[in-house]
Amino acid sequence: MKKISIKIIGLGGVGSVLCGRIARFLNYAKDIDSTLTLVDGDTYETKNYERQEFTQMGNKAEIKAGDIEDQFPRLNLDFFPSYINDANITNVILNGDIVFLCVDNHKTRMITSNYCKNLNNVTLISGGNEFTDGNVQLYVREGGKDLTPDLCAYHPEIADPVDKLPEEMSCEELAQSDPQLYFVNVWVATLMCGVFYNVVISNKIEASEIYFDMKQMSVIAQSRALK
Amino acid sequence: MANEYTRENLEGMNLKELRRLCVDNLGLPGLTKKRKDVVIDAILLADGNPDVSDKLEGIAFDGHSVMTKPSAAFGQKTTTTIRVSCGASTGAFPVEGKSVAEVGEFLREVLNVDKLSTGLVNGKEVSGDYELKVGDSLEFMKPSGRKGC
Repeated sequence: MKKISIKIIGLGGVGSVLCGRIARFLNYAKDIDSTLTLVDGDTYETKNYERQEFTQMGNKAEIKAGDIEDQFPRLNLDFFPSYINDANITNVILNGDIVFLCVDNHKTRMITSNYCKNLNNVTLISGGNEFTDGNVQLYVREGGKDLTPDLCAYHPEIADPVDKLPEEMSCEELAQSDPQLYFVNVWVATLMCGVFYNVVISNKIEASEIYFDMKQMSVIAQSRALK
Repeated sequence: MANEYTRENLEGMNLKELRRLCVDNLGLPGLTKKRKDVVIDAILLADGNPDVSDKLEGIAFDGHSVMTKPSAAFGQKTTTTIRVSCGASTGAFPVEGKSVAEVGEFLREVLNVDKLSTGLVNGKEVSGDYELKVGDSLEFMKPSGRKGC
């Protein structure tokens, strides 16, 4: 029986879609004993119905955990109703975890990637998008060594982010949001599921980054050298 | 069914005899203007002879050359191309011998390459003056998508 601990950080457009897919897979995977922890400090509101999958208003981690528990009773579930930051990340991500990072700011990506560099074993699958395109990055550490580049290695915009953590933003800043397409969020979530299956279930690292473009209908996987 | 034809036997026949064999005995069309070795391979293939299937296996097209001038003289029909990508945009371009910086400028609009984008050849960062060779694969880094929540 394979034992895995999964953390899904961010339960918005990408995370709320991803969560249901991963939960369904794990619930019916007879040879996997899994724990699923959902992490988000944000709240579901009426305006989120357009792109995000949830059943009622409230803290995203708590609501989504309840939804998953009702639908997939075989899973061991937990939730953490706060945004990730430097202070609490040590309580959230543990050695050996598989982490899905579905956030909307590079500062959280940078904090998470840098923290993971201190763990002996971790699989970090991070997804993000713009209006019609996006990418998924894979960072794997095993036995204290990088198997793939970390999120910052080839992305200076993540290594040195100009954006802020959600808890650092003013109400006005939080109210502003760039438009997104539901279908593009679904592309990101689906590719993250595919990466999870390849790496965790099939033990294959095919690429460290995957780009997609919904307008061009193209997907490109890239492997890069460790720095 | 035992193979009826061997390469040795067929090579002892002239081209006219081989072509007649194709048309009359084997019903193989389209070989009247082909070279002798091509006709022999076709006969052996039709006969299920392992002699030709072994010969054909292992021929791999590595995808670095494109037939751009089919009517040109032998040896001048193809152009060597190199795969260049930026994000999910990719293409094969005749840029062998060009520097990474030149290619970035040349393909800026085609592949939406940012002016400050780093070039990677075969997965490793290179300087702008690196000259591309046959077999290289060039990637210009595209910034990571920021949104998702």
